[in-house]
Amino acid sequence: MFGATEYLVLGSILFALGLVGFLTRRNLIVIFLSTEVMFQGVVINAVAFARHHEHLEGQSFALFLLVIAAVEAGLALGMVVMLYRRKGTLDAEAWSLMRG
Amino acid sequence: MTSAAAYMLYLVFALGGVGLYLLLPKAGVRQTFAGAIIGLLAVVGLILVLATQIIGPGSSAGFFYLFAVVAVLAAARVITHPKPVYSAVYFVLVVVAVTALLVLMNAEFLAVALLIIYAGAILVTYLFVIMLAQQSGSPVYDRRSREPFWAVLAGFVLMAAVAGRAGDLPPSVADASESATATAQSDQPGNTSAIGAIIMTKHIVALEVAGVLLLISMIGALAMVRKELPVETLEPPPKPLGQIGREVQPF
Repeated sequence: MFGATEYLVLGSILFALGLVGFLTRRNLIVIFLSTEVMFQGVVINAVAFARHHEHLEGQSFALFLLVIAAVEAGLALGMVVMLYRRKGTLDAEAWSLMRG
Repeated sequence: MTSAAAYMLYLVFALGGVGLYLLLPKAGVRQTFAGAIIGLLAVVGLILVLATQIIGPGSSAGFFYLFAVVAVLAAARVITHPKPVYSAVYFVLVVVAVTALLVLMNAEFLAVALLIIYAGAILVTYLFVIMLAQQSGSPVYDRRSREPFWAVLAGFVLMAAVAGRAGDLPPSVADASESATATAQSDQPGNTSAIGAIIMTKHIVALEVAGVLLLISMIGALAMVRKELPVETLEPPPKPLGQIGREVQPF
């Protein structure tokens, strides 16, 4: 039986890889690319649950997830462009003024 | 999933975490080769655990293994590659592999939508911004990562917590009538019209909200980027006091 467990394991692996990238990388653009990798893991999870429960709720949820991903990419990249124009660098450490 | 399978999965995750830690950009000598070897060992172990413990021997799941391995390796390259352009291109590979997995799960419409939206639209935007903000050479913030050990540990804990429970799925909650209609819908007119039907009837409010959200984010992004910054303000030179108001045409 080819069930949903292996897809859930794969989705969790993709999500954790994205999390590690989000925490470690210092380039602002790569940080947001890591969130997109996390989105891929979540999409796999949603569709795997949709197939497990044999209805289409998960697939339509993943479709709305795509909308959120597009919104997030547009706003994040606008913010990155603004931050880059202000400081001339993509380093996230350049904005660590509030770190104690 | 039995507890033995879960522990083997944890072992594979720990191995992959060690490989990932070695692969992340760090100060000093990067152990790229050792990291790649350990990471590949972890991927092989993942295939073995999935094949022997979870999927079961004898089932033909070749395409799943192929695309899962492509997705995991490409995702690891996205977060470890020191150049952002290559990270974006490897992310395209992740999207293509995930698309293939969605086709394997009978989600054809979602697969094509993912390919068009991600690989076609979002990634092009990312590449534009990368080209726009590219700095010459390889800057130091791409060659040093921040706290790689603790981040890998956090990822391992998260992955173990999620994947360790992935085997204990409850039975399907769909009641008989709903699942019957769903399968009938997905059999008869195809996946696309079934999703269209469910979105236009059951989730119509969410669909409208999603449209409004896209509009708001577009306006927000425009307002944010259009804002004048101190370096770019080009004010006209101030006029002498007597000339103010002289150039206004009467209407």
